[in-house]
Amino acid sequence: MSRMIANAASAFAPSAPVCDHTTSCITCGDVAVPMNVMRLDDERGLALCADDDGNSETVETDLVAPVAPGDRLLVHAGTAIAMLSEEGPV
Amino acid sequence: MKHVDEFRDPALGQALAGEILGLVEPGRHYKFMEVCGGHTHSIYKFGIDDLLPANVELVHGPGCPVCVIPMGRVDDAIALAHEDNVIFTCFGDMLRVPGSDGSLLDAKAEGADIRMVYSPLDALRIAKANPDRDVIFMAIGFETTAPSTALTLKRAKMEGVGNFFCMCNHVTIVPPLRALLDSPDLRLDGFIGPGHVSTVVGVRPFEFIPAEYGKPIAVAGFEPLDVLHAIHMILTQLKEGRCEVENQYARVVPYEGNPRALQVLSEVFELRPHFEWRGMGFISQSGLKLSKAYADLDAEIRYAVPGVRVADPKACQCGEVLKGVIKPWECKVFGSGCTPERPIGTCMVSSEGACAAYYNYGRFAREREVV
Repeated sequence: MSRMIANAASAFAPSAPVCDHTTSCITCGDVAVPMNVMRLDDERGLALCADDDGNSETVETDLVAPVAPGDRLLVHAGTAIAMLSEEGPV
Repeated sequence: MKHVDEFRDPALGQALAGEILGLVEPGRHYKFMEVCGGHTHSIYKFGIDDLLPANVELVHGPGCPVCVIPMGRVDDAIALAHEDNVIFTCFGDMLRVPGSDGSLLDAKAEGADIRMVYSPLDALRIAKANPDRDVIFMAIGFETTAPSTALTLKRAKMEGVGNFFCMCNHVTIVPPLRALLDSPDLRLDGFIGPGHVSTVVGVRPFEFIPAEYGKPIAVAGFEPLDVLHAIHMILTQLKEGRCEVENQYARVVPYEGNPRALQVLSEVFELRPHFEWRGMGFISQSGLKLSKAYADLDAEIRYAVPGVRVADPKACQCGEVLKGVIKPWECKVFGSGCTPERPIGTCMVSSEGACAAYYNYGRFAREREVV
């Protein structure tokens, strides 16, 4: 038991950006982010999307295809899981 | 005014809280479970339970995928990460989850090549950039996340990436809910249903809750007014003697979910006969593994994993917390032996774990006044 606690205690906050206890973890929290489609890679079924803060990400669009630049998508773990009809929170 | 502000409007929140007060019967105790870790996070972050009457109790469910991973699976992951020529990839929160002999972060410190990714697609990119090494993606999550893994596995096959493998820990939401409802030590009056899981599976899978167990459920969004609105809906059902599934989150959740996502899931995954949940034991047909068509991408087939069942630490009461039997602060080691910086149990690791959420937002306001 004590060894277990000692090992657990050695878990330290890494320097790499991770979802830690002070922020929200996209996966664990069932969190999805609204993003706007900027550019399409039709051949590979991918889209370059940007969130409301301007952060961009390559997103799988297979589940909501077809998409067009300007569409607003709900993105979870790099995949669009729903098409949003209006600007706003999720 | 940003659109999101409408869902965080304090005046509307107070008005809704006032209506909720009018719906409760004095002398009756109401116990509602929020299934999803995202709701737990919102409830503590925005102080939603402080707006509720004292006889409305929110208990936290098993909806944090990191929190339900048993120690034995962490040990299996560490064993895979230590295999020669392997790059092991996973989401950030998994790194800190203690196994029986340290965490993935400890294994990384010992020299294993473990990398954090934000999506399965990131892991596939690493595989393409390192064709002479095996890249394993540790997949966790409910039905919200599983389609992302499934699409990436399809892409790996389609693009002929032969060095990409998946250690699948995806779980499904309905079996643990059924297990909770069958549990004799937990008496619930209703459920706040998971929002984004429902985006994929739809609302229909939750119909068994009112039909078979006579409990109302409202699928809810994650803003404070969403959660309050869902509680209002459940209380209204109880007051009117109704019992059904309601969709508070209709602006995002279609009744039928995402049929394409469900099709992809059935193509890439199949149900395991049983899967172990932390604190809840083995639950039938609650976990996913790669289907026969994708077996060549299954890390657990390519490599042998120990597969040893490890008992949870005795001091840790994550199991009771996950089942809503005790509150986080009622655990013997909460805030003393177990903190977000030095977690013993999984509920203290993930930001959506009930213990971490309570530790970060709620521990200063435990004694609350009756509204």
